[in-house]
Amino acid sequence: MAGTKILCVAEKPAIAKAVALHLSGGQMQTHNITGNPYVKNYVFDFNFEGRWGDCSVTMTSVLGHLTNVDFPRQYAGWASCPPAELFEAPINIRVDQDKTAIAENIKRQARYSRALFIWTDCDREGEHIGTEIRNQAKEGNRQIVVKRAVFNNTERAHIIHAAKTLEELDERQANAVAARIELDLRIGAAFTRLLTLQLQPLHETLEGKTLSYGSCQFPTLGFVVDRYLRVKRFKPETFWGIKVMHTRENIKVNFLWSRVHLFDRATVIMMLERCMMAKKAKVTKVNQKPTSKWRPLPLTTVDLQMMGSRFLRMNGAAIMKTAEALYTKGFISYPRTETDQFDKAIDLKKLVEKQLPDHNWGQYAQGLLDGNFRTPRQGRNNDRAHPPIHPVCWVSLDTLNADEKKVYEFVVRRFLACCSDDAKGQSTDVEIQYGDEEFHARGLIVLERNYLDVYVYDKWESTQQLPNYRVGEEFEPTVADIFDGKTTAPNHLTEPELIGLMDANGIGTDATMAEHIEKIKTRSYIVVTSRGTGRSAVKVLIPTRLGIALILGYDDVFAGLPNSPSLSKPFLRKQMELEMREVCAGTRIRRQLVQESLDTYRELFIHTQRRMNLMKSAFQKYLVEEADV
Amino acid sequence: MTNIHDQITTHLLQTKSFPVSPTWLHSFLSTISAAQRNTPIPALTQTALFRLLTSDIRESLTSSASTILPVDIPDANVRERRLTGTIPVQVLDIEDIGTSSWSQVEAIERVERGEAVRGREIVRTVNVGDEDQDELATTANANASNGPHRLILQDAKGTRVMGIEMKKITGLAIGKMAIGAKLLLRGVVVGRGMVLLTPDTVTVLGGKIEAMDQAWRAGRKERLLQKVTAEAGTDAGRA
Repeated sequence: MAGTKILCVAEKPAIAKAVALHLSGGQMQTHNITGNPYVKNYVFDFNFEGRWGDCSVTMTSVLGHLTNVDFPRQYAGWASCPPAELFEAPINIRVDQDKTAIAENIKRQARYSRALFIWTDCDREGEHIGTEIRNQAKEGNRQIVVKRAVFNNTERAHIIHAAKTLEELDERQANAVAARIELDLRIGAAFTRLLTLQLQPLHETLEGKTLSYGSCQFPTLGFVVDRYLRVKRFKPETFWGIKVMHTRENIKVNFLWSRVHLFDRATVIMMLERCMMAKKAKVTKVNQKPTSKWRPLPLTTVDLQMMGSRFLRMNGAAIMKTAEALYTKGFISYPRTETDQFDKAIDLKKLVEKQLPDHNWGQYAQGLLDGNFRTPRQGRNNDRAHPPIHPVCWVSLDTLNADEKKVYEFVVRRFLACCSDDAKGQSTDVEIQYGDEEFHARGLIVLERNYLDVYVYDKWESTQQLPNYRVGEEFEPTVADIFDGKTTAPNHLTEPELIGLMDANGIGTDATMAEHIEKIKTRSYIVVTSRGTGRSAVKVLIPTRLGIALILGYDDVFAGLPNSPSLSKPFLRKQMELEMREVCAGTRIRRQLVQESLDTYRELFIHTQRRMNLMKSAFQKYLVEEADV
Repeated sequence: MTNIHDQITTHLLQTKSFPVSPTWLHSFLSTISAAQRNTPIPALTQTALFRLLTSDIRESLTSSASTILPVDIPDANVRERRLTGTIPVQVLDIEDIGTSSWSQVEAIERVERGEAVRGREIVRTVNVGDEDQDELATTANANASNGPHRLILQDAKGTRVMGIEMKKITGLAIGKMAIGAKLLLRGVVVGRGMVLLTPDTVTVLGGKIEAMDQAWRAGRKERLLQKVTAEAGTDAGRA
């Protein structure tokens, strides 16, 4: 029997089980814990080598965050204090009601253990959950030594390596999360109470409804409303252009105007007339050159959600849930990552090799190993925590459920595409000068499809071939005419677009974006509807009257203030996110971040209170009177 | 005194092709105090030029046949003609005809709300920090219109004509060129009553007429909106 007792704690039961299976080689006992049906303790022996050597291990888990931050009881009632007091009210950190059994389990196990190894996911939240676990363990055993296992997939060799190369918890990341939790609580509670108390009585549909505010939720809703208003308010306009066609070698070549189109008819007519006066067009440039369509970059979480919702017809939240399941089962790497470059140390060919048994892309993978393999392109992002999302091992699609199939297939195809060559082609550009105007035509021949063969989501096709033109030659166009058209309204926002906007504007992290979108759906601020029918139907996001009233109300409240502060625009949240990164990097202290952010939001809060009448009239107008926007 | 008068007149005519009006120059010189009379002539000429660029050329320039537009210039029946000589004109209106009026309205509203869009990212244009002043300037430039532009030009006699920017002209854009800015037209071609503006026939001298520029700016969004609604109106009529 091994000597030293070690306690290991993972973030979720499935990870605890997967890790325990790898470390124990299957030789383990499973114990239930009192008071929680999901969390189990796995007991086995393992040799950690080095300082720890042969150990007797108990592997257990939590269920996400252990603790909850809240105001003391005297602040619990919504009418108990003016909401503004919540910016300063004391707060308590307590073990969540339904997590007490889990916390007890950790405390008890810690009592008999020399050391605690933390196996939470390697991201900011995971680091914070790690500190929560540590605090419980320390309550059971002051002396306990705390270490952290660093891993990003649950493949066997990787897990065993992680177990033998333990590191320290990252306090800075944990602090950044603690700061965010406190800010979200104070700001969210203050604004939510203010809004709900003041606005609920205005309309019967709001009865019993919470009008929540969240510093991520609102900018997210802001994007949806902003687009909706742009669509609603759009005014079509006529434009005119010049089209030139030339028939040569029985090919009708359409030349496109370099100005595309203009919004003044008289000008276009004058320009066309001057083309005709010139009679002949002159070829100014013929450029034949090899061209390529680049293979995709290694896969990040945001890309997975954007591409996924475009190609797989699943929403971001569902994709993330499925990807988590695939990760937990050990099929793909950790699906929360910002990294779009593979570390040189990763043996990519070995990962490709694992896909050989597949009857859809196994042959393609073989082709890569037979000489078609290329080192993936490097993106510009590296979160230094996780590699890009990639398949860790092969699994037969038949053993997966419908959603898992789609996501796994996408991850694999994307990975193989990354390791392939760009698609190659030959493009021909012909430019002509006709009167004062310039026109151009382009032809493309795809010569080698390469990555396109496996990455079925990208399209690149040959166009009509162009006849031969020589530089300097002159010809009389077969047709030169004016055409007209109308500008069209932008489309309503789709979920991938929204994720893109959130990403570009720093709203939420790759991990939480899908949650924020779900949140504004459950709050009935937005609804999802279908545009178009059948296979071409696209799901779009439309704000409800309530959503519109909230955003426009807030815009009215802050209208005309210096520096245009806004709760519906992403600036404030982006700022907070940047500052959180500074906390992670150690260039800013947590207290300072919390204080400064609270000061900013408190000012906006006071202003909201003062101009609540504007908020109310927005509700009156858009919700009660159902006025047009 | 006469000497100064002649020297300035000659200089402005030779370097800027401005046929400055004697009356205007006289009143300009009379505003120059005795103490400033000793200013060297080149400096005085610079001041005169600066005042000219901010003046209304109907008052500040003479109109001889070779420096003004033909009165029938807007005649759309004339397919093409070329104007000889160098003609100073001032800009009364500038429109971007490469961009829809509605998207120009949207851009104006974004600026009104204190933001601008760079790519998909919403980027602030207003900033508190002083060091960001430069950035502010570049953003403003990035917001200059793309064109091509349609201008309304006016000569010293008051004749108006439409000008079309046929090839990109540096300095000619909404946000860069103010109303009242002065241009020199040299040997321009006129097609169907529109002056065809190209870099080799147009010299941008800059300047502005403050009151006109302010009024133009204040009314720009409203004019664009009117254009958009007018079009929607004719559509409704047709339907």
